[in-house]
Amino acid sequence: MTRPRPLLPLLSLTVVLLLLAVLPAVGQNPPSGTPKYGGVLVTSPLSATPSLSPHEESTIATVQQASPCFNNLVYYDPTKKVESGDTIIPELAEKWSWQDNYRNLVFFLRHDVKWHDGKPFTSQDVKYTFDMVRGAPEAKARLKVNPRKLWYDGVEAIEAPDPYTVVFRLKHPQPSLLLMLASGYSPVYPAHVPLAEFKNRCIGTGPFKLKDNKPGELVEYVKNPDYFIKGRPYLDGIKFVIIRDRSTQIAALQSGQLDVGGSGWNKTNAENAKSGAAKLVILEADSNVNDNVLVNFKRAPFTDLRVRRAINLALDRKAYLVGPRQGAATFGGALLPKPAGIWGLPAAEVAKLPGMGDPAKQKAEAKKLLAEAGFTPSNPLKIVVSTRALAIYVDTASWMVDQLQLVGIDATLEQIETGVWHPKMTRLEYQVALNLTGTGIDDPDAQLFENYRCGSQRNFSGYCSEEIDKLMVQQSQTLDAKKRLALVQEIDRKLQADGARPILGWAKQYYVHWPHVKGWAIHENSIYNVSRRQDVWLDR
Amino acid sequence: MRTYVVKRLLIAGVTLLGMSLLLFVLMRLAPGNITDIIFESAGYVDEADRHRLEAELGIDRPLIVQYGVWLGDFVRGELGKSYRYDLPAWQIIKPRLPVTLELAVLAMGFSVLLGVPCGVISAVRRGRPLDYALRVVSLAGLSMPSFWLAMIVILLLVRSMGWIPSMTYVSPFDDLRANLAQFLLPALAVGYRSSALIMRITRSTMLEVLREDYIRTAWAKGQRGTQVVWRHALKNASLPVVTLIGIEFAFLIGGLIVTETVFNLPGVARYLVDAIQFRDYPIVQNLAMLIAVVVVFANLTVDLLYTWLDPRIKYGGA
Repeated sequence: MTRPRPLLPLLSLTVVLLLLAVLPAVGQNPPSGTPKYGGVLVTSPLSATPSLSPHEESTIATVQQASPCFNNLVYYDPTKKVESGDTIIPELAEKWSWQDNYRNLVFFLRHDVKWHDGKPFTSQDVKYTFDMVRGAPEAKARLKVNPRKLWYDGVEAIEAPDPYTVVFRLKHPQPSLLLMLASGYSPVYPAHVPLAEFKNRCIGTGPFKLKDNKPGELVEYVKNPDYFIKGRPYLDGIKFVIIRDRSTQIAALQSGQLDVGGSGWNKTNAENAKSGAAKLVILEADSNVNDNVLVNFKRAPFTDLRVRRAINLALDRKAYLVGPRQGAATFGGALLPKPAGIWGLPAAEVAKLPGMGDPAKQKAEAKKLLAEAGFTPSNPLKIVVSTRALAIYVDTASWMVDQLQLVGIDATLEQIETGVWHPKMTRLEYQVALNLTGTGIDDPDAQLFENYRCGSQRNFSGYCSEEIDKLMVQQSQTLDAKKRLALVQEIDRKLQADGARPILGWAKQYYVHWPHVKGWAIHENSIYNVSRRQDVWLDR
Repeated sequence: MRTYVVKRLLIAGVTLLGMSLLLFVLMRLAPGNITDIIFESAGYVDEADRHRLEAELGIDRPLIVQYGVWLGDFVRGELGKSYRYDLPAWQIIKPRLPVTLELAVLAMGFSVLLGVPCGVISAVRRGRPLDYALRVVSLAGLSMPSFWLAMIVILLLVRSMGWIPSMTYVSPFDDLRANLAQFLLPALAVGYRSSALIMRITRSTMLEVLREDYIRTAWAKGQRGTQVVWRHALKNASLPVVTLIGIEFAFLIGGLIVTETVFNLPGVARYLVDAIQFRDYPIVQNLAMLIAVVVVFANLTVDLLYTWLDPRIKYGGA
């Protein structure tokens, strides 16, 4: 019989505990959540960008490829999935302050920011940029095209009292201004670089510096070692490779030549990619991009509410979801509904919108309305449904033609070459059209003024209601969030009742990446405000 | 011979002039212009800004003036500026030319190296299993569009090997091996169709030549089979083949659009389509004219090759 050795168990336990404490530090990778520095991320954007000047374009392709070069005064926090006033974080502005009951928005700028060419960033750059965008008479440069001038309609003046303070003086209170300034479409440009240079070059303050831009082929960035946010970016560079063919994009991702793919892909594309490389990760989110029906308010018989309502009722939304959108969309009114959106109509109301009910009953009602308007089987309503000659448009428009034919409308499809799509829509050279609309931010000012205000350049249906215009202005100046939401929903209800621009649904977006890509964020209520990519890192 | 060449050069000049006129008119017949496209990407149209831009680009001037200015510039070698990218047209076209030329030359080389020997073998082995096998291969080549073949090649590669050629262009001067790895498959995909065509022409002309008296005489003299077939028969059967090669090369230069798109090669053919979509007149007109020049001179070269291949052919006054 051995004598008990009371110290031995204690000693063993101590050794085991020590080993447990030491072992993880030996020969083990850092935990997967600890970012690593280095590597070049390769991705394929939606398409080639016409320029590197976000202020002059309205395509996600430009935002994707130019955002790594720039900074905004403020930006949406990439880690928060739903963008709102509460998720805005500072970038070039250290802090900001609403003053004089939301009549002045004051930004206090960082002192440690330099442009990529070494020149210091000051308040003059901010004044230069936003005077130019709002088309101020005193602006030192003029944009060739200025798609978001409307956003800054409420700005009366921009003052730069000292090199690190900027004041936006407003004509009336407008809380949405801050949200617009946080958009990917609102970067600050350097006042000392001629505007024309942004066609092919980029001098910004952002986390990445432009290394190479081969128009139509690739845009390549390297890390900005002087970036004002210490420790960022994690990547040594980003390479945007333009791959036009969708099948080739998928093959490039599967073969590992791309780290991330998916811009502009639908659910089937994402699933196809994963079917060939099981390790790929699919990201799915709402997108603040909707399929909408443009009914020309300036042409008979579409001035007749019964005809507009009949068209709206004929389009069975559930068939749209399973058909052209392959199960990847949500329903709503003029603004993206909850939970992804902030301002949309409640689900119970959405369920009662035209096209959402029993298809047979809705189609019967549509036929009745058409008959009341004088269109019978012997004298059918003949319409041409125009759409942009891109697959993503044509698929839905073809489905639409079929739905309209089911209620006795003699509908035919017209494909309009993509290059002249917006000019034709602006000139109202169509009867009924199927359109896609993405708005920079999930905000009533951006969405409503742009698409529904009388005379707006992007009000492609020609819809005009003085009452709605007044309500739009009223909601824009309302500071109480609850009251403003109520006003916005009142507007949305009226727009739906008028058949102003029937929304078929809000599309989902997809990105597909390899597991080694970390921090690739997407937002639920916009595709435009998350492309800085300073927090992305590669775990390999 | 000199008179003939001068005459052909004059005809080439007239052809190119007609081509320039056709190009210019066709581009203007397409709906919209570059200002529409610029506003297209901005998502709206402002008529006042549009007119200002038209004036800035000079496309508000009478068409005849625009045509004269462009033609004068082209003759002087001034290719103007890309409307879309605001860069000198030559700066955009220059790096793309070698890409398309390399692809076209490799594809042509492949199609000749495969098509001519297969055609000869098929003719010599007429009615035997090898002949049937080669004819099936050539028929398949003619039946499969090169873009379809290109897509299948990409899909098969990624599914079976998890690899596809590089999606970014690798210059042969930087890395010859990687460059060949990038170009070989697209060249094979494009060249296969041409090789099938060349094989069929070679076969049928060889069959005709092999029946000629002088071939029979060569056999009777006891010459070696390879010498009879490859030296005597093939040389005399090659006139239609050379004609076809000339036509195919011209076709390849302008016809690589889909292959360049599928394999993501930044060549002129793919870029030409982009430029047409963007109504980038200087790029489209100058690129198409450059292609026309290549085609015209490829045809001239083929015609001149005839005299070397068949000394009986004499051109006016030579």
